[in-house]
Amino acid sequence: MNVEITGLTRRFGQNMAVAGVDLRAGPGVFGLLGPNGAGKTSLLRMLATAIRPTSGRLRLLGRDPGSYGPRREIRRRLGYLPQNLGYYPGFTVAEFVEYFALLKEVPAAQIPAAVAAAIERVELGGEAKTKLRALSGGMLRRAGIAQAIVNEPGLLLLDEPTAGLDPEQRVAFRALLRELGQRATVVVSTHLVEDVGAACTQVALMDAGKIVFHGAPADLTARGEGHGTGDAPLERGYSAVLAGARS
Amino acid sequence: MTAVRAPAAARPVHATRGHLRAAARLLRLELRRNAMAWMLPVAAGLFWLTAYHKAMAAPPLWNLRATSMQKGALVAFACPVAGAAAWMGSREARRHTTDLVTITARPRWARLLTTWAATTCWAMMGYLGCVAVLYGVTAQQATWGGPLWWPAAVAAAGLSAVSALGFAAGTLIPSRFTAPGAAIAAFFALALSTVLIHGSQSYWQISPLVTGPWDIGPDAGVATFYPYLPDLSIAQVMFLTGLTIAVLGALLLPNGPGGGWLRAAAATVSAAGLLAAGTAVALAGTGKMDAHGMIAIPALHDAVNDRPVHYTPVCSRTAIPVCLNPAYTSYLPAATAALVPVLNEIAGLPGAPARISQAAATYQQGIGNSVRASLAGPSISGTPPVLRLLLPDQLLGPGMTTSALATALRASAGPAIVAGVTGDSPGVSPAQHAVAAALRMSAGLPQSSPSAPGMQPPTATGPLPIPVRSAARRFAALPASARHAWLVHHLAALRAGRITLAQLP
Amino acid sequence: MTAGTAPTVPTTAAPGRKAQLAWPPRAGIRLLRLHAASRRAPAAIAAIAACAIGLRIALLGHWNTYGALQLPLVFEAGAAAAIAVTTASPLGEPERLTGRWLPFLRLATALALTAAAAGALTAAGTGAHLAGGTLDVLRNLAGMTGIGLLCAAALGGRLAWAGPTAYLVVGVYGLQTQWHPPALTTPWIWPARPPHDLGAAICAALVFTIGMAVITARGARDPAGE
Repeated sequence: MNVEITGLTRRFGQNMAVAGVDLRAGPGVFGLLGPNGAGKTSLLRMLATAIRPTSGRLRLLGRDPGSYGPRREIRRRLGYLPQNLGYYPGFTVAEFVEYFALLKEVPAAQIPAAVAAAIERVELGGEAKTKLRALSGGMLRRAGIAQAIVNEPGLLLLDEPTAGLDPEQRVAFRALLRELGQRATVVVSTHLVEDVGAACTQVALMDAGKIVFHGAPADLTARGEGHGTGDAPLERGYSAVLAGARS
Repeated sequence: MTAVRAPAAARPVHATRGHLRAAARLLRLELRRNAMAWMLPVAAGLFWLTAYHKAMAAPPLWNLRATSMQKGALVAFACPVAGAAAWMGSREARRHTTDLVTITARPRWARLLTTWAATTCWAMMGYLGCVAVLYGVTAQQATWGGPLWWPAAVAAAGLSAVSALGFAAGTLIPSRFTAPGAAIAAFFALALSTVLIHGSQSYWQISPLVTGPWDIGPDAGVATFYPYLPDLSIAQVMFLTGLTIAVLGALLLPNGPGGGWLRAAAATVSAAGLLAAGTAVALAGTGKMDAHGMIAIPALHDAVNDRPVHYTPVCSRTAIPVCLNPAYTSYLPAATAALVPVLNEIAGLPGAPARISQAAATYQQGIGNSVRASLAGPSISGTPPVLRLLLPDQLLGPGMTTSALATALRASAGPAIVAGVTGDSPGVSPAQHAVAAALRMSAGLPQSSPSAPGMQPPTATGPLPIPVRSAARRFAALPASARHAWLVHHLAALRAGRITLAQLP
Repeated sequence: MTAGTAPTVPTTAAPGRKAQLAWPPRAGIRLLRLHAASRRAPAAIAAIAACAIGLRIALLGHWNTYGALQLPLVFEAGAAAAIAVTTASPLGEPERLTGRWLPFLRLATALALTAAAAGALTAAGTGAHLAGGTLDVLRNLAGMTGIGLLCAAALGGRLAWAGPTAYLVVGVYGLQTQWHPPALTTPWIWPARPPHDLGAAICAALVFTIGMAVITARGARDPAGE
């Protein structure tokens, strides 16, 4: 298992953003759904070791991120794309990805090849020498994905990865996710249920800091039959589970 | 991907080489995208307008140019470097990449250190370029000596410290007001660091703007006849380096859980830096102005630097040669022209000096902030007698142009030379006063003048009695050869007081 | 979001010119306040106050010759830099594409902060040995603020501090040359000129006016990527 969480909580002042989450995930693509404020981003940030849990047990890639040494090992094999991607406008795409390859301690000899491969995988090969300030929103997002995958991560965490991508790019991206999910654990937090349906093998639905559903996308679809609202089966399943959790 | 296992012994070497290569790549990336590169034209412009112009206005003496460069470079570069460093320190917060970079494997200290190093590298490149230009021009103009490297080292260490402080400010307080605040604060701190200096023994001498005893200021006479004392510079470099290390050590403390050994290492590094800085301040407090006008710190002093610098003087081809330290070669024509009229009057006379030789000044701290520069030893010594004097530029005060120096030399040394030959002083015979006055008139010297330091004081400043003045005019009206001939025969008797006014031709 | 009956909005005639002109003054004040908050004007005022307090404390000491004139210049530069960095907009393009009030807001903010800085620094010097006097403070502050505003238009608000701080070094050096020739006498280095020097005042006022005009019309350059 690459992700093992038991009773994980995270508090921000008075607000309990994550209120006790249990989760286990191995290789594959794991979707994380939920309304705004459900705690998805906070959970993802804890998995990314960006913030510490308030309580609970967390093991990533077989290690406890609470200690410096194991945390550093985890981060060598981690990829993270936040919802709001920060970047340095003066960097080119290649420099941006190379920068993160260096920070992730990809062996120096492998960096040029790793950077080139990551850029090609997100179909930005023609823009490698373009400055980030000159990219469109979607291209910027793809550059963000490239930095997340440059170190061939064992655990890849993506927060709204398809924001700004056009439909054709979203299809390509889902294919990339499936490919990455063969070797790594990919956790995708998204509002787009069709992304979950097309790429994810498992899905969890969060609401008010807790996981209210965990299973296959087909199971979520089944929950919506005759109950939920929405235009697509997964949407109906989504709304049905939420309604049930809130009642 | 297939893993290839290297031989066990080679793996640590490969790992080290790999780390170094990665560090070099990261540094290269940071160098290419650093704000300090954009601030270099500002810094260079300020350097040109302030430090370079000021240094070039000073005579081409290495000590003057180097000390001026040390102060000017720091003032010109402090604001841009502090501001740019604060800007780079706040980059992660401004660009909202904190999470992205925090969750990477490379330690925070390595990441921040690389950014700081890139900023400081650019600052150093700009600074060293400016130093190269100033020293290069000085090398073409100077007639003796060579570049002084300690002032350059102090300014370099100062910029490093300013960069560290600015970077720390930006990292800790990533606000839009931090960069301007850091720039202004750096300038203000530098300016304020010298205000509290009193006398020539003060802890505040550790300020990198201090190049010697603060009360002397830039003086042409210092570090020419004697070597430039590096004592204060060593203490300053120690202080600035210690400060840099302490700031960076504190800044690079890990801010997450775990990493106890790393925390301990950073704390140790910071403590070592603070210790070095504190020791340097204490050492600076023991520094005192020595007789050669420089700060000597006993614990750092090398007695070798107390020996005078050997040199071959440059001399004029006149009846009585005027010989100067070769560093003052550019002054020789003007100094010779200023003294030739009086030297022509006294050349060949009994007791006249065989040579006029420039000597080193000696400095003494007075009450409060006053310092006195004077000639060490007698003004006339040796057989045949050599008259030793100080050029006016060696005395304390603002720098002089060549023509101003010649005028001052003629006014101060000329009458003193005449007085030395004729024995003119308060209380001697009227004939001596008259002959001295006549020689001064013939040489175009002022009748009353300030005494040259270390030389026999001239006649009383009051006006001469009418009979003396008449006799002087009569004697001065003689042809130069007649006047000279009479002096050759009668100078000894004149000095003994046996000649009366009526006996003067 | 659920589908439901949208709340009814009372229909009114399209707002005519009278309605536009009759915009309530409270709305105007609120807009100004929000604009000032977006530019971190309160922090700028705090920075200006810190400069004034610093000046007052520094004037407790006795300064002579050019030191007495250089000292206030440091705090004037600090205040000018604080005013300049407030021109940076965190909102970028969406704000630029709004109605006609933005230039007036920029002008009002810059003028108000300059006036506050002038008042604070003048008050700090009142009753103390402020070499150069109030005229000197006003001239130097106005000129350096103008430089900062021009830098903001060229480099962006967050880098606008580079202008006043660089000019501080120039001004300090210019003052020193008045005592240690060769003196820099150009009126464009106005801190080195006497307080009543007309040429220097004109130069400083010109720079201030141009800076205000540019920042009013164009605002600070938006940093790339924001």
